[in-house]
Amino acid sequence: MMSLVQAPRGRQLKIVSIRGGEGARRRLFALGFHKNDLIEVNAQGIFRGPLLVQNLSSDISVALGHGIAQKIQVEVLSDE
Amino acid sequence: MNNPFPSVVFIGQPNCGKSTLFNALAGHKADTSNFPGTTVKHTHSRVNIEGRLLNIIDLPGTYSLNPSEPAEKVVLTHLFQEKPDLIVNVVDASILGRSLELTLELLELEYPMILALNMVDLAEKKGVKVDPAKLEKRLGVKVIPTIASHGWGIKDLLEAAFQRLEKSCPVSSPRWSQDVEDEVEHLAKKISPNFSIVANRRFTAVKLIEANQTFCCEVIEEINPFLKKDLDWAKKNIEGKRRAPAYEVIAAERHHLALKISEQSSRVERGRHLTWDKRLDDILMHPVLGYPLLAAIFLALFFLIFKIGNPLERILLRPLGSVRSFFSGLLGSGLLFHLTDGLLQGIGGGIAIVLPYFLPLLFFMAFLEDLGYLARAGFLLDTFMHRIGLHGKSVSPFILGFGCNVPAIMSTRILESQRDRIITSLLIPFIPCSARTTIILALIGFYLGPMWALGFYVFNILIVAGIGRVLTFFFKAPSPGLILEIPTLKRPSLKNMLNKTYFQLKSFLKFAWPILIGGSVVLSLLQFLSLDKIFNAVLSPLVVQGLGLPQGLGVTLVFGFLRKELSLLMMLQALQVDYKNLLTVISREQIAVFTVFVSFFIPCLSTFAVLWKEMGRKVAFLSAGLSIMAALIASFIVRFIFFY
Repeated sequence: MMSLVQAPRGRQLKIVSIRGGEGARRRLFALGFHKNDLIEVNAQGIFRGPLLVQNLSSDISVALGHGIAQKIQVEVLSDE
Repeated sequence: MNNPFPSVVFIGQPNCGKSTLFNALAGHKADTSNFPGTTVKHTHSRVNIEGRLLNIIDLPGTYSLNPSEPAEKVVLTHLFQEKPDLIVNVVDASILGRSLELTLELLELEYPMILALNMVDLAEKKGVKVDPAKLEKRLGVKVIPTIASHGWGIKDLLEAAFQRLEKSCPVSSPRWSQDVEDEVEHLAKKISPNFSIVANRRFTAVKLIEANQTFCCEVIEEINPFLKKDLDWAKKNIEGKRRAPAYEVIAAERHHLALKISEQSSRVERGRHLTWDKRLDDILMHPVLGYPLLAAIFLALFFLIFKIGNPLERILLRPLGSVRSFFSGLLGSGLLFHLTDGLLQGIGGGIAIVLPYFLPLLFFMAFLEDLGYLARAGFLLDTFMHRIGLHGKSVSPFILGFGCNVPAIMSTRILESQRDRIITSLLIPFIPCSARTTIILALIGFYLGPMWALGFYVFNILIVAGIGRVLTFFFKAPSPGLILEIPTLKRPSLKNMLNKTYFQLKSFLKFAWPILIGGSVVLSLLQFLSLDKIFNAVLSPLVVQGLGLPQGLGVTLVFGFLRKELSLLMMLQALQVDYKNLLTVISREQIAVFTVFVSFFIPCLSTFAVLWKEMGRKVAFLSAGLSIMAALIASFIVRFIFFY
């Protein structure tokens, strides 16, 4: 288990937990990011920039600031 | 159909093509974009369709009925205040799973509803084929596939709407897992009839459970302390069973149900994943390549705007001069002339200075937005915005600020946190709008050289960054950070771009321009009453000793905010010299100091007014104070650099 910031690019990840303030968590839920969802990190901005995260089940892409990404714990799914 | 004007409400998540659909029905009325959250107010339209009148309402895009942005709150207020006769839920078929979360929430209202399954073409391109019949069966409401941008399916949608209005069909709320359902039901029974029930008991109970704690609980405790106890009990039970906050449990219930329905009613063809937009996105959002591209796009944008704006300005300014001299010949130099002159300059300034630059900027921004690039710019610039205590979502209001500060401040409604809104609104007045840009180019660009003008912009951005940094010391509340949906890249549609331009322009024409004209008239009155000379004398210590400028420029500098777009003309009038001979009465250094002061000083009366209206009196005065300070400090710095 690791935070989203440390997760490898382009690998299937599963959200284990979402911590952080209620406002940010509600926002993430509204955008369709929940515990147990499968996601993938597609890109990252320079200098600890935001992460471009894609939800694999709903095909939504969101930009997540570094602060929020740190509060999302994920695990890497082993290759099929 | 009891009501002669049945009201039909359009609701959908941001970017689902709702406004495009609404436009196809109502003509060019709604604001559309490819940036989450641009319909900040709702649009009413009374339309006559085949002899039947409908009152159709376009609400801002919202992800859920638990709003977090001010713009989203409009949706909730509207839905709760007046019950619509029909809800048209617009759904983006290409992201069905997520879109259905709002649909499920809307079904909980149990209001008459139909579903427009929009962007089916985009979905198919992605390899997703949605079966409307299956979806209809699962949701229990009529589903009509549409492609709003091509006008496809609109007729069927209207037919379905009329059918539903004539013959209502019961809508029932979807059910969740039994353990959660039990608690909701239990609480719903406890709601007494005298408690204001929205839609139905179950919906009210659910909203109470998932509402934002601080807001809701205080109100309920006051109205009904017993209900508060039941509510706490229900929440505690849910939280105990699932070991997660109640709002999360409910959001997750909807999420899983939505995904399940989406999977059951659509077929995904794998292997068509790497489409052109994905490949383009890899370059646009590349951590290294993305930035030179961004810089190139914006440089090209500004270059184009000035290539279009400058000649237009010249053409438009010419008649203003002749009309003014015509009136001075006709009316002499009395009060009537001064009033007419003020009016003319106010109107002319808007037409000749603001519009030639503002309109092209709006159009190009609409292009970038419709393409989906603005959200990507937000992603790329997020890191830099963090340095001044903001994040990527503030990028688009800032860019808009280069055109006109007024709509830029209005567009801060897309920011969720009040803190971010305040800081962004306080910084926007320091962004040189088109009116100030003309001054910078005409004075610095022409008399000191283009490199100096570029340097001025760099200096300006540094000042904005500096003020941003200082402000974050005072607004300590943590910013929620960047959570921004990155929409799929789309081919921009001319219709959408024109609509968007028209909408932003309208806020300038309706709000900023009248104030601009009013300010101009007031300034003319000052001149008529010869108060300008008195002010010049009073301001002399600041203007002459402090800034090293001619005494005659006092009113132009300080009261210039009444007619900022014409500061250059005012300056020439005050110095009684024409533009070409400016250097005979004033030095290059003085020109630099003057431009810096004018650029950083209170931008204009309209900006002040819109700050007051949007953010309150305190923020408006704080902004004015900041502007005065920044203008003084920056112009002293420039004077110091030049003289020593």
